[in-house]
Parts: sequence; C-alpha cells; structure tokens
Amino acid sequence: MSDAGVALSLSGVSKRFGGLVAVDGVTIDFASRRLNAIIGPNGAGKTTLFNLISGEIPADAGRMRFRDSDILGLAPHEVVRRGISRTLQIKSVFGGLTVTDNVRCAVLVHERVMAPLRPVSSFRAAAARADALIDEVGLSAHRHRLASTLSYGDVALLELALALAAEPRLLLLDEPVCGMGPQETERTVDKIREISRRVDVILIEHDMEVVFDIADFIMVMAQGAILATGAASEIAAHPKVQEAYLGSPEDD
Amino acid sequence: MTVARVRAAALAILLVALVAVPWALPALGATFWVNIVAEILIWSLLAASANLLFGFVGLLSFGQALFFGFGMYGVALSIEAWGFGFWPALATGVLAASAMALVTGVMAVRLTWHYFAIITVVFSLIFYFAAMSMKWLTGGDDGISFSPPSVFALGGHTLSLGDATVQYYVILAIVSACFAATALVVSSPLGLRFKAVRENDRRAALVGINVYATRLIAFVLAGALAGASGALFAFFGRYASASYMFYHVSGEAVVWAIIGGSGTILGPLFGTGLLIVFRELVSTVWEHYLLAVGAITILVVMFAPRGLAGAWNGLVAGLLDRGAEEPRRAAIPEES
Repeated sequence: MSDAGVALSLSGVSKRFGGLVAVDGVTIDFASRRLNAIIGPNGAGKTTLFNLISGEIPADAGRMRFRDSDILGLAPHEVVRRGISRTLQIKSVFGGLTVTDNVRCAVLVHERVMAPLRPVSSFRAAAARADALIDEVGLSAHRHRLASTLSYGDVALLELALALAAEPRLLLLDEPVCGMGPQETERTVDKIREISRRVDVILIEHDMEVVFDIADFIMVMAQGAILATGAASEIAAHPKVQEAYLGSPEDD
Repeated sequence: MTVARVRAAALAILLVALVAVPWALPALGATFWVNIVAEILIWSLLAASANLLFGFVGLLSFGQALFFGFGMYGVALSIEAWGFGFWPALATGVLAASAMALVTGVMAVRLTWHYFAIITVVFSLIFYFAAMSMKWLTGGDDGISFSPPSVFALGGHTLSLGDATVQYYVILAIVSACFAATALVVSSPLGLRFKAVRENDRRAALVGINVYATRLIAFVLAGALAGASGALFAFFGRYASASYMFYHVSGEAVVWAIIGGSGTILGPLFGTGLLIVFRELVSTVWEHYLLAVGAITILVVMFAPRGLAGAWNGLVAGLLDRGAEEPRRAAIPEES
C-alpha cells in the first residue's frame, strides 16, 4: 500500500438512531489499489456505514475525505459525481427498462446529458459505451430484456454495470455474491477481482470463503465500531474476531 | 411487417382521421360532433399532463386542474386586461401554469406517493377557494367571458375561431404539437431520467440523477401541458371559470390517463376520447352514467392494466412477434 495513497479516509464517523449507536466513531484509512473488505456480524453497522459514505443518510459526526475533498453532507447524486459508486445489498436496478436502457441511462447521466429534444438513440458514443459495459459484465445475451425478467445473479451484474457506468474511482459493493449460486459466485468474484485492479474497492461480504479468498485488507466491525483490522491471515487468527463470530449464536 | 411499421401506420391513420373530422362528420350528418372531437383533443392534454407525471415519473397528481385553471385565466385575463392577441394570450396561459407548477412543485415534489397526491389536492383546493372568492378578478363560479381575438390576420384575411373549422384545426395543430413535444421529451435522455426515477428513485440517485430536480422538471412540464389544455379550453368556451380548478377535474384527468394507458404517449387521448364519447352518448339518457364510468375503470385496471394503448401495443406485439427471437419488449408501451 506504501505509495498508492488513500482511497477513502474516515475519521470519527458516527450515526445514532434514537438510542442505538449504529456507527460509533469509525476512524480508518482505506488504502488505494487494494481490495478492502468489511465484515462483521449482522447489525454491526456495515451497511449503515456505506449509507453514510454514499450520502443516503446524514452522519451525526465525523469527517470523510475522498480525493482531497470532504464528502460528508453531500447528496447521493453528488457523491456519485465525485467518483464513488455503490451497489446495494438487495440488488437494485430499473426493473421496467431494458438492460440496454438501464445502462444507457447511467452512462448518459454520468456524461451529464439531458438534451430534452434529442432521442436517446442518437447518442452514439454513449450507446457504444453502454454496450461495452454490458459486454464487460457478461449480459450481452440479455440486452433487450426487461431488467425485471433477469435472474437474481444477472440483476447483480446489471447493477454492477450501472455502478461502473459512472467511471467510479471507488466502488462500494454491499454483499455482491449474496443469494448467488456457486457458479454465479465464482463469475462475480472473478469480475470483482478484475475491477479491483483499476478501481478501488471496498466490499461488505458475509461469505467468509469469498472474503478470505479475495480481500487484501479486512476491517471487522461489531456494534458499530471497528473490532480489528489487518490482512486476511491476521484477521482469521484474531481472538476478538473469533469471539465475535463464534461466540454469539446469531451469526453465520 | 414490424411493430414499428404497424405503429407508424396506425398513427398515420389516426392523423388522417383527425384531419378529416370537419368534413367527414358533417357529411355523416353529425356536425355537432366536430366540437366534441375538439373538446376531446383539448381535454386529452390535461390527461397527458397527469400521465406525464404518473406514467413517466411515478407521481400521482390529483391537482392538475390547478394548472388548467391558470391556463384558462392566463388567456382570459390577458385578453380582457391587456388586449393580447391569440398567440401571446396562449403563451401567457401556458407560462402562468408553468410558473404556478414551479412554485407549487418546489414543495410538492419533495414528497412521493400518497403524500404527493395529497399535497397536490391541497394546493388545488387552496387556489380553487381563493379563485372562487376573488370574484373581482376571476368572476368566481360565473367566470369571465371574452371575445377571442383572431388567430391570424394578414392583409385582408383573418382566421377567426368563430369559424368552427378554423377553430378545430387550430386546436388540432396545437394539441398535435404538444403530443409531439411530449413524445420527443420522453424518448430523450431527460425522458430516460424520468423513467429511471419512476422505476427506482434510490438507484436513480445512486447513478447520479438529482431525483428532486428531475421530478421538478417533470412537474413544470406537466404544468405546461395542463396550462395549454386550459388555455385552449378558454378559447374554445370563450370564458374562464374557477369551477374548472376543482379537484374533480384533476381526478377525471387521472382516470382518462389510466384507462387510455399510463406511460404511453397517446393513451391519454384514447382514454379521454372513449370517456367523453361515452358521456355524450349516455349522460343524456342516464344521469348516473358515472357509475358505468367507474365500472369501466375497474374493468380496465383489472383486465388491461396498461390501459387501451397498452392492450393495443400488446396485441400488435403478440400478433407480429410471435415466435420471433426478440423477447417481448414491445409489450412495454413506450410509443403508440
């Protein structure tokens, strides 16, 4: 990680829902050019942390530095424009639109095109980029299908294409292989690994096999706070982590 | 034949039929119906306004009559007070409605679903009662009458709305232009943003769409459509009345849009046409004809949830695409 720099720097980031401290003073630098993973038991605050970063819920306290600017307090669409894209735990695309229109929409928005009196189809460069993204995630065969008719794994891939359309410098993946079969998981893991060579990635994942397989760096959360950080091997051997995972019956 | 060709042919037939109305209907001994068709065309813009919001952006408004009313009064007052000509008065009506949509939209589009529906009703009720009580300006329930200026005056020739045929063609031209503009916007990148917001506003924000601004733009455009509808109706009736700002009028527009096919371009025209023709035929013999309108609405929602235009698109796609490799994306009513 030496000279690669920092992908995202959080300091003292906190969020409270009534009496529940969902995220409790999280301070960490996620390094660039490294596949970062966040793990932790259910309710540890992982997704809430993502929601804070993506601007979907306002943080109560803390700072978030991304590429020399403070992104805390920005609206979600502004965070995307700064270069942070994310996927959601429950995969989320534009169901009533075709795969092509889904991705074209994301590409045209990224290019800040509104052009209210020109048909979408006349934007050749954007169409070509959308096609390339569809090819990249392996959905070429389903181009003309409505997104709502895709299998769950394909929806996840489409969502990934939507996230990549914004040419992010940081990609947040919330349980990218959740609900996938073994084959889809393998395909998606390969894709994530490939993407992480050019885009900084932070992912939340419950599938420990996947996490320990691909993550260079792991941050463990429990009850909103950081429990441990380190390389996969260190984390696996960490007594607190074992306690958090094995010691409480609600975890898998 | 492809789906696109069938659609183009159907559109051409529809246009030819509409152009032929001022000759064809009197030839059939139904001169009275020319004005009914003109009225259908005018009201279809109000339905198109409700449809732009509900069918393309996912916002159910029961307040479009407010902007219809502003379109009416924009025309009536600018002619009465400032002696405006036809086109400046029309523009004033549309602009007044758009401006009002901007003012109310700034607050309304912060909300969605039933909250949005409720606030649109609230706004239209506030202005309905305000307009009703400001008799010195609006004439209240009685409204204000005016004599319409000529549409064109060149040399010795003038085109006047007093001629039913001229009036019909002026209305047809303006309504067609509004539908064409809507079709353009809906198929543009802006229209794609509308649909993205309709489908999934969370994901829309996460691909970088300013959801609030997108909804506000749609709300103002819908206000302009409703304003054009109201402006034309003022010219058509030679008066403006606050009673048209009541939310019943908005509700009717929503029903027309849904029966015609929300999320389609021409669906609102079909829905408005069907129900106004139905009203003209049945209301004279049965005063509770609205019961039947309710039944029709329920049946359409149950058996053709995409409305008349959606059912037609599905039919065309089903007949032509059977066995074709292409999945049935044409079943989604984008055009028609």
